[in-house]
Amino acid sequence: MNRRGLIGAVAAAISLAVVPKRARANPKKIRPPGALPPGQFEQACIGCFRCAEVCPTACIRFPGTFSLDQATPILELSDRACVLCMKCTQVCPTDALLPIAADAQVIAKEVRMGVPVLNRPKCLPWNGTGVCRLCYQVCPYPDKAVELVGPQKAPLFHADACVGCGLCEEACPDQASAIVIEPIGTEPPKPEPLRRGPGGQLRRGPR
Amino acid sequence: MPRRLLQPLDITLRHGRRNQLVRRLFLGFSVLLTFGLPLLHLRAVSVEGAGLAADSPWARLIGWLPVVEVPFVGAPTSIALFGIELVDPLMWLGVAVHRGVSWPMVWTLLPGLVLVVLLGRFFCGWACPYLPILAASNAARWFLSRLGVPLKDVKVPRVTARVAMVGVVLLSALAGTQLLPLLYPPAIIGREVFRALFFGSLGAGALVVGGAFLFDTFVSRAGFCRSLCPGGAMFSTLGALSPLRVHRDIPKCTDCTVCDVVCNLGQLPMTDKLDGGCERCGKCIASCPTQALSWKLGTPSALRKPREKPGT
Repeated sequence: MNRRGLIGAVAAAISLAVVPKRARANPKKIRPPGALPPGQFEQACIGCFRCAEVCPTACIRFPGTFSLDQATPILELSDRACVLCMKCTQVCPTDALLPIAADAQVIAKEVRMGVPVLNRPKCLPWNGTGVCRLCYQVCPYPDKAVELVGPQKAPLFHADACVGCGLCEEACPDQASAIVIEPIGTEPPKPEPLRRGPGGQLRRGPR
Repeated sequence: MPRRLLQPLDITLRHGRRNQLVRRLFLGFSVLLTFGLPLLHLRAVSVEGAGLAADSPWARLIGWLPVVEVPFVGAPTSIALFGIELVDPLMWLGVAVHRGVSWPMVWTLLPGLVLVVLLGRFFCGWACPYLPILAASNAARWFLSRLGVPLKDVKVPRVTARVAMVGVVLLSALAGTQLLPLLYPPAIIGREVFRALFFGSLGAGALVVGGAFLFDTFVSRAGFCRSLCPGGAMFSTLGALSPLRVHRDIPKCTDCTVCDVVCNLGQLPMTDKLDGGCERCGKCIASCPTQALSWKLGTPSALRKPREKPGT
């Protein structure tokens, strides 16, 4: 082995040891519409920021911190929601964002940016402290992604029909902030069904 | 007292001024794109988004800019110009390692690749948005040396950049994410300029570029470009196939070393030692007192004998 090869091998070995395991895993983030699944997206995105340049609401951001996804686009929906114009999907040079037509039916079928998670104790109609249907009024898919139920007209979200644009999260009053779009795969698991334990008492969880 | 190291700014560019003018105009165009495209986009989306994008202080300052369909989109490392995709081949390789190669991907690579094979490492000398920062670093070195500050010029082996190039691609594959946009100055500068104009803030990438500037100023002249930049290593590797080279007219040459000093990238035109690392900036030609150097089409350096190539 010559000197160059040796230098290369040593450098590769050192860098392997230095990159921490945590950094190799993909932290889940809310990505622009049409994004490849987490893991594949980070492999395909070259950080050219074309998507962010054409976004009319400037909702596509780049984290400014020292992190491995410094150069990949993320959405901060509580600050600024996506208006589903689909322009970002048209300009991606590496198909990290797959092109999607700006059509409500197509978007409903193709786009899943995140999952709506409602904190009912904070939601005004659910906790009985007020009347509010802001989320319902701004939702691009009313009665499908969110419907109003009960005498209080409280919102009930349906994750399977929600595209995760975050308009509801942006509209939700600051003192409530009850609805949050969570990245796919990080939403809290549904509670386990109630089971009867060996002593006959009710409890949650596996047997 | 040791003799002051000769700095590139000590050397007058005597002729070939037109070449240098064209180069500077080209570089100006590249810098104009780096700053101008985000500004035009910011103007367009401020109007289109009814002011939603106008959080940035810049959005107010550019109210006079026309609202146009911005013809070009992209960063210095990947840009669509006149409908032609120009992508940095190393960026492309990073994606290809993960996602495989498809025909549409080959077409996006082709225009950039053809340019590199024809013109060699020209991007580094003609278009890289780090060049103004390198010029500032060289000016700082000139100024400090005038003040009598002893300056280091550590010659880091150029193979380091090739190790970095291979390492970035390998580590990207292991890390499951693209690492080049985090380490490659043109990519960082494009992103940070965009961030500064759209959101009024700078991110961590600015520290990488700042570190490269300090390294170039205090440790090694143009050392980042010469010996560390993974993109530069890729251009050097592919640029070895370029037929465009600096030719020396031996009878005219007086062995004055001016060309060797003026070169940022450690090429040695005075002894005909040039390889793919030549950025085709033409400064050696412009600075030669006896006009012994000129452009010539000849054997690509990849096919020449090893003793005709510069060392570290």
